Amino acid sequence: MRKSFYVAAFALGVASLGSEAQAQDCTIKVGAALPTSVDWGRPIAEVAQFAVDQVNDAGGAAGCQIEMVLRDTQVDPKVGVDAAKALVDLEGVNVLLGAVSSGVSMPILNSVTVPGGVMQMSCCSSSTAFTKLAADGKTNGLWYRTFATTAVQSAMGAKVAADQGWKTVAVLYKNDDWGQDMARLIEADFAAAGVTVTGSVAINDAQPSYRAEVTDALGGQPEALYLALYPTEGTSAVREWLSLGGTQNMILANSLKSDEFRENVGLQYLGNAFGTDTASPRVESADAFRAAYQERFGSEPNGPGLANSYDAAMITLLAMEAAGKDASGADIAAAVAKVTDPNGIPVSADTAGFTAAKSVLAGGGTVMYQGATGNVRFDANGDVSAPAVVWSFTDEGTQEVEYVSLEDVDAFIESLK
Amino acid sequence: MIQHLVDGILVGSFLSLGAIGLTMVMHILRFANFSHAELLSIGAYSALVFDKVFQVLLPFSAAKIGPLSMTWALALSVVLAMAFTGASAMLMDRLVFKRVRARGDELSMVFASFGMALIVRNVIGLVFGLSSQLYSKDIVFAMVISRDPLLLVKPDQIFVFGAALLLMLGLHLLLSRTTFGFALRAVAENPVLAQVHGVNLQRMITAVWVIGGSLGAVAGVFYGLSYQITPVMGRDLVLPIFAATIVGGLGSVYGAVFGGFLVGIASNLALVILPSGYSPSVPFLMILAVLVLRPYGLFGEARP
Amino acid sequence: MIGVISYLVFFTTVAAILSIAVLGLNLQWGNTGLFNGGVVASFGAGAYGTLILGGAPQESHFGGFGLAYPLALLGGMIFAGLLAWVVGVLTLRLRHDYLAIATFGVAVAFENVARNAIWLTGGAQGVRGFERPLRAELGDGFLYNLIFLVAVLIALWLVFLFLQRLTVSPFGRMLRAIREDETAARSLGKAPDRVRLTAFVTGSVIMGLSGGLYGTFYAFISPQDVLPILTFQIWAMLIVGGAGNNAGAIFGTFLIWGAWTFSGWALARFAPIEAQLYTGSIQFVLIGFVIVGMLLWRPQGLFPERLVVSQPGANRDKPQAEGLT
Repeated sequence: MRKSFYVAAFALGVASLGSEAQAQDCTIKVGAALPTSVDWGRPIAEVAQFAVDQVNDAGGAAGCQIEMVLRDTQVDPKVGVDAAKALVDLEGVNVLLGAVSSGVSMPILNSVTVPGGVMQMSCCSSSTAFTKLAADGKTNGLWYRTFATTAVQSAMGAKVAADQGWKTVAVLYKNDDWGQDMARLIEADFAAAGVTVTGSVAINDAQPSYRAEVTDALGGQPEALYLALYPTEGTSAVREWLSLGGTQNMILANSLKSDEFRENVGLQYLGNAFGTDTASPRVESADAFRAAYQERFGSEPNGPGLANSYDAAMITLLAMEAAGKDASGADIAAAVAKVTDPNGIPVSADTAGFTAAKSVLAGGGTVMYQGATGNVRFDANGDVSAPAVVWSFTDEGTQEVEYVSLEDVDAFIESLK
Repeated sequence: MIQHLVDGILVGSFLSLGAIGLTMVMHILRFANFSHAELLSIGAYSALVFDKVFQVLLPFSAAKIGPLSMTWALALSVVLAMAFTGASAMLMDRLVFKRVRARGDELSMVFASFGMALIVRNVIGLVFGLSSQLYSKDIVFAMVISRDPLLLVKPDQIFVFGAALLLMLGLHLLLSRTTFGFALRAVAENPVLAQVHGVNLQRMITAVWVIGGSLGAVAGVFYGLSYQITPVMGRDLVLPIFAATIVGGLGSVYGAVFGGFLVGIASNLALVILPSGYSPSVPFLMILAVLVLRPYGLFGEARP
Repeated sequence: MIGVISYLVFFTTVAAILSIAVLGLNLQWGNTGLFNGGVVASFGAGAYGTLILGGAPQESHFGGFGLAYPLALLGGMIFAGLLAWVVGVLTLRLRHDYLAIATFGVAVAFENVARNAIWLTGGAQGVRGFERPLRAELGDGFLYNLIFLVAVLIALWLVFLFLQRLTVSPFGRMLRAIREDETAARSLGKAPDRVRLTAFVTGSVIMGLSGGLYGTFYAFISPQDVLPILTFQIWAMLIVGGAGNNAGAIFGTFLIWGAWTFSGWALARFAPIEAQLYTGSIQFVLIGFVIVGMLLWRPQGLFPERLVVSQPGANRDKPQAEGLT
């Protein structure tokens, strides 16, 4: 009812503007509920806005300019839910980007987006609970996330350890939903790959010192250290670890692909640190995101969730384009398949790519979005799978050490079972 | 085990410094100051600024002191940060706590301190950004004190420990040997009587804030030196510092010192028996244990 | 327009749920003078209790007893009450500021257990498998929210009525007597410790009800819902509204929660895009100023406690103790 009301109002508005009302005379709002008041949340919002700007440079989506209305969730579920509800009801958005924490995304999904028929695209919520919810048919196909499930990360970690010949590994993990998931998977995957986990230590947020935790992990005298942490506590824990004589053999989750981490720990200690991440495909256009990002922000797109947030925004906007004007949230959610079609025409992640996608979609074709996190492909539960990459730090940022194609990733995960 | 013990003592160094100020404020002004830990942030960030200024003005001061990661510039900055934080604490009292004190009761003060903590923390976040910062990016390696059992200590830790003890000694002399110290204790015992005897109450309150603030600044810098500085470090430290204060007993400077070390040691040793996820609860469990067994702390005395 | 109504229904529901918690705190602090720094522990106990008892069975964590909803909600309240009883027995004899710190610590520990005891609470991922009651019958659109709002308002009204009665009852008078002068109350043969414990547990059960409704509304609860910031928010609502005045407490809740959400909306709407990234920090600073300003200029709240003078000549003002106050 509300939807049709807006649609009607919209149609009226557009009609009154006359026939020249092409790309520039109307605006579609996109909602974003992201934790801009925490250190790692602010860049995630910035990069989403960046994607929106690029799309507007390409003439907007669905015939209109896009305006991203950003609300802060403060990582507080009730604030986040209220923000989402206000975006849906007061701003009339059909799509919502967010949230970051699963603990915020979940109540938004339960009480705002699914009841309201709004598509929700999270960059970074990693909880396996969403997969179960979707499998139970409770998300109505409105839920997507560009964060590859933790399974890929942990399997790639095991691969790095096995390839490097590290037999014993200690694990430090962030004590949140993502970290707890990671710790559980790592335990299983590493064992399957013949690597012993000597100790798995939770790192809490907001602790004055991680010295005791690090000492604990050091006690098993491991050959290598696995870090499933964010830059702030990661820096603290690793500096502690190194100063206590811990090994420099490290495996890093993609959250530590961050300049802050590299600079504050020091490149000289990270020579033997290998990160894992989902990868861009082997085509030139995949560098588009990286180059454009560097131009805008003057640094590499390194930091937890940045590439994911960019893809979340871009895919959403592509889907809006594909669904056309006056589409409902469900229409847009359904159109995601059209822009992440493995058989579609590849488009790059930048203004040019979006322009190209527009003409393909206008001709009734489908596109394969080659995003910052790879050839994003969603399964029925809105989960993404992608090829993987092993990376290491360099002077400028990071470099690729090894590329693992989607087939190889799947095969490796299978081999661990 | 022995490593946890030694680490605990070193963590205790800056908890003690923080707790001394808090115990004095809580004793004389009779309220639980939830914003005290923010003084550590103010100290740490102001030292960061002074440090940068000194490094530009006096390039030679950027040299490290011996094996420490501390530079001469930072050493100078600590002194300025103490003054700045002491002044900030005084200002907070003048602008807010003094007025609330005049109007409401102790519990309004507690709540006002909640509000102040929120303001300070977020203003720092707005000014300096939310990501963490370091005084020095170099990693100083720990010295191997003993191989079996393995015992590693960083030079910075020994310095922090030594400097903290020195400051505590200075404070001890100030409180036990000077007229000012006597006056302060008199105010804590009985403000009315002290005033009758010609002690300037307002001046004493100011002094308590300045002492608390400057010790907090040192604690904040030492904390930043050992780990990193973030706008939310006050939030992270508030419970351990309260624990140190309460374990030691309100109003007892020596109690606060002892409490700081005890909380530091217990938090470190707790990991031997508890999974590390539970470490944030440790200070609280200590508070509860002390309050149930000995409500006025180990060194405190009962007071109505 | 319909969007606005839909949002207002939503907003009112959350504000009404929070009001119930504020009323619980008002009984503890406003009427009895107990500084509970751990409101979230009771709130969380109610929410976790309700969802674990009322949810579908889960392989990954404890619970999922699938109890009928009213039983689950009642169970959550009982759980909150039991927790409060244990905490109360241990801490209520403490001085005000000690009590504040001890209860603050209880809340930290509660969050910590919720985060780490994966077998019990689902850990950081939160409790799963809970369905909102009557969802199958009512769908989950606007109608559901409207009916849920009515249910919450009824609960709020009942709690309000209960507390209003309580305030004027002999028990309520006794609470205030103990708050004002414990020694005098004791000399009249009252047992302050037991009375305080009763008030503390009752207040916590009310907070548990609020938590249970909150968990029901979102069909989810995780450790992120029980961080210390919620305690702060609930206290702010009571202080602004006026401690000791139930109507004021409710008004304060709507005002603070409204300001909290409105400031977010206004900053998102009117602040330039670069500044929007700082809205969270700015908002916290503003809220901090509201609290401090309120304490400076109107410490009794917008709606001060209305004093019931039982005896002529009774003077409520505390004697100026110790010269410093």
